[in-house]
Amino acid sequence: MTNRSNESWLSDLRADGVVREEALTDLREIVAHGLPYALSRWLSPDSALFAPLVDEVTQETLLRVLDQLDTFEGRSMFTTWVHKIAVRIALTELRRKRWQDSSLDEIVDNEELPVPARIIADRQPGPAETVEQADMMARVRRILEQELTPKQREALMLLSIQDVPLEEAAKRMKTNRNALYKLLHDARLRLKRRLTNEGLTAQEVLSAFEKK
Amino acid sequence: MNIKDLIQSIRHRFQREQELPDEVVKGFLRVLDKVRKEETTCNEVFAQLDEYVEKEVHGKDAAHLMPLLREHLDICSHCCDEYEALLDVLEETAKE
Repeated sequence: MTNRSNESWLSDLRADGVVREEALTDLREIVAHGLPYALSRWLSPDSALFAPLVDEVTQETLLRVLDQLDTFEGRSMFTTWVHKIAVRIALTELRRKRWQDSSLDEIVDNEELPVPARIIADRQPGPAETVEQADMMARVRRILEQELTPKQREALMLLSIQDVPLEEAAKRMKTNRNALYKLLHDARLRLKRRLTNEGLTAQEVLSAFEKK
Repeated sequence: MNIKDLIQSIRHRFQREQELPDEVVKGFLRVLDKVRKEETTCNEVFAQLDEYVEKEVHGKDAAHLMPLLREHLDICSHCCDEYEALLDVLEETAKE
């Protein structure tokens, strides 16, 4: 494989014919070689999903790199920039596939929609929960209910309870990942401000739950 | 209305009636201390992630040099996953 500087990558990928083809072949190899490391925390190479996902992501990465070549600012090595794009595509795709699969399983296995186990577990105070903790939780929950807009609440429920991936939740809410993050950021700021107004800090509230 | 839409509409109704579980409330509280007024969006983080991770791999104090990005990573699990995955790629390929 040819060792290229950032400038060589850009010029070779913008060239015609054999030069471009060789650059694309090298880049394909680099992306496919890096992806198993990127996926190692989430997917075993033995999984049936692994090889098709690597192929699909590699192909999509090359297309996106060519499409976004002009946006590369040279703040890192070109290959790091390419790996970054591959990582975004791979994890988005993996989350989407996993979430779709589990949703399908739920639909197949249950005629009625399942209530996630941790919600059931949270419904009743545990034996170790004190009156003080229960009061604090009720107070914080009341503040949340008052402070969150319906959209913020919807986002929180989708992401935290149903484990819907960020991209999927954004799609469902007819927005994008960036705007959804901002929505939650605003919600956090509102809650932080309200707690401060009530003379509380998040740390104080949390420590109330850690008391035995 | 097809079956998928029907299921979604039932889910949405279920969602509205569901109170926020304790773990969601606690999870929300856990990140509050790190929330600042100035925000870095997921797109801004993504734009600089390659630079940030390279700094780390080269032994520089990336969190100190790019604090807003670090704060976003502490709060946003999706961006943090991407950061960790990219770090794994660079660290592991460097060992070869």
